[in-house]
Amino acid sequence: MELSDDQSTHTANDEYGRLNPNSLLGGLFFVVSLVFLFYVIPNYINLPPYMQHPLLSPRFLPQLAGWLVLILAFVLMVNGLLYPPKREEADELRQGVPVLRQVLMLAAGAIYAVFFEQFGAIGSGIFASVLLFMASGLKSAWIYVLAVLFPVVVSLLFIHVLNVPLPVGTLWEALLQF
Amino acid sequence: MENISEVLTLFLSIDNFMAIAAGVLIGVVVGAIPGLTATMAVALALPFTFSMEPVTAILLLVGIYKGGMYGGSITAILIRTPGSPAAACTLLDGYPMAQQGQAKKALKTALYSSVVADLISNVALIFFAAYLAKIALNFGPPEYFWLICFSLTIIVSVSGNSAIKGLIAAGLGIIISTIGLDAVYGTQRLTFDNYNLMDRVSFIPLLIGLFAIPEVIDFYTSRVAPHIRTAVSGASLTWKEFKGSLKTVIRGSVIGVIIGAIPGTGATSAAFISYSEAKRTSPRKDNFGKGEVEGVAAAEAGNNGVAGATLIPLLSLGIPGDVITAIILGAFMIHGLTPGPVLFQENLPLVYALFCGILVSSFVLVFVGNAAIRYFSIIADIPKTILLPIVLMFCIYGAYAVNNSTFDIGLMLAFGVLGFLFNRTGVAAAPFLIGFILGPMFEDNLRRTLLISKGDPTIFFRGPIAWVFIMLTVASVAFAFRRYWIARREQA
Repeated sequence: MELSDDQSTHTANDEYGRLNPNSLLGGLFFVVSLVFLFYVIPNYINLPPYMQHPLLSPRFLPQLAGWLVLILAFVLMVNGLLYPPKREEADELRQGVPVLRQVLMLAAGAIYAVFFEQFGAIGSGIFASVLLFMASGLKSAWIYVLAVLFPVVVSLLFIHVLNVPLPVGTLWEALLQF
Repeated sequence: MENISEVLTLFLSIDNFMAIAAGVLIGVVVGAIPGLTATMAVALALPFTFSMEPVTAILLLVGIYKGGMYGGSITAILIRTPGSPAAACTLLDGYPMAQQGQAKKALKTALYSSVVADLISNVALIFFAAYLAKIALNFGPPEYFWLICFSLTIIVSVSGNSAIKGLIAAGLGIIISTIGLDAVYGTQRLTFDNYNLMDRVSFIPLLIGLFAIPEVIDFYTSRVAPHIRTAVSGASLTWKEFKGSLKTVIRGSVIGVIIGAIPGTGATSAAFISYSEAKRTSPRKDNFGKGEVEGVAAAEAGNNGVAGATLIPLLSLGIPGDVITAIILGAFMIHGLTPGPVLFQENLPLVYALFCGILVSSFVLVFVGNAAIRYFSIIADIPKTILLPIVLMFCIYGAYAVNNSTFDIGLMLAFGVLGFLFNRTGVAAAPFLIGFILGPMFEDNLRRTLLISKGDPTIFFRGPIAWVFIMLTVASVAFAFRRYWIARREQA
């Protein structure tokens, strides 16, 4: 019995080919563990001048874990080649996502990661929240009031209740002095 | 008598009661919001505990854990979206009940079954943890070494669909745990001359990064799913109806306790075993899967029976039974406490103050759970578009609070990207965390054993306790392989 067009298309879309996430992931981990075992460990783990037992070496556990990853990565790679995994329904939700949505998320992350000291906790919180609300396409004005209100409230909670000295913002301090 | 007064002094504080209530409330709310997990809530709450007393801090986290267990069932019943994997079993009968206009009855059944199971589990914790800790006092470094080896075998059971990927994640977690100064020789390991890494990778940025940030990234790299509104309707549960399921609830609780006390088995399997046992013995077995009160009761009793019992190996032996207890283990360490037999020896009043708080949390769950049922539509209707920017803000401030350092923010975001990549490629993050926590314990006990024996390896096989753990480790590995082959055969 022949498969109908609809069925054959469905089967083709259901499974990945040889270049599937598992074999690629296995290959990636394999390369990473090789680099780790033969470059990173010898260069970035210092050995003491004298050791009582080889198992007491500072390199023992990283090497053990590195070899474990290397062997399993090889198994994963072979497994991926022999048994290509099936596509998940969730993959469909990840297609056709507007680029701007992802760029705005990255920008919000960059504000927190790079400008947290400069903008301060409240400033970076406001900027990042506004960007993330924009990324979701929110248009109501009251939502953007929340983007200001929440960073202020949460920052004050951290500073005054939890005694965490969150940064005020070097940029604002400089502007005030100016 | 002196000990009792000390326990009461530690426990009877308004802070503790507020922490329990807040914890259970946060847990139920977070568990009730689809996409947010109790694990994420516990990770996010951890920085808030820095300034708290150890008992208050642990009770807050345990409260979130217990609240989250129940909260997960709310979405399972109302919108067929289990808030936690363990609640997947609850939807089998809970969702059909909601569709038949009996949502309120299903939610009340889930709540009261959860409370009874939680109470039974807590009593088991109080009785067995001290007993097990007494036995563990005879453990030396070799016995602990094998205990850690046995604990490492739980990685397979928390690996999700792929044991290979889980083991790789655990290996990576172990590698990350070795960053910093070597504990014996003081030499640098993988620090790349960065002074921020000399004192090991901070636990909280790693935790928040792995469990909270991926949810945020995943949301913004997927199309916006429509927001599902929920409704709580129908008649409530009568005492007669609940009494009819009480036997099932008690049986499910005992199953949960037994499974929870074994590291790595987890609430999901307890829920399904309890459910299938209830179905097997029920006179209404034909109604299971179509909206049976007993089905909801069995599933919830099984999964909540695990909650207290998973703390047995944590408190008595210092080994985590699942991801959340691994985080709670980290919380103990942050507060300068090491769970295990020594905790019972040196901080007995603290342990019993914790037990009191854990018992109280079961009763708090009744009030909070009832309030959640009444006001649930408000809680669940907060759209993720508003919620996730706030979650991200909490993540950032929480990571910064650890060392007042922006390095930790970068570290957390890096682990967030790693966690996101793990999610996308089907690698479970839990084994990574277990590897990160158990790796240093493994190394520490291995080294201490070798230093004591002056390098003689026969010390690892010196007594019956060591042999018990060796056999348990071998059996656990063999069992994991057997399950793997069965799953592979079924796939083929």
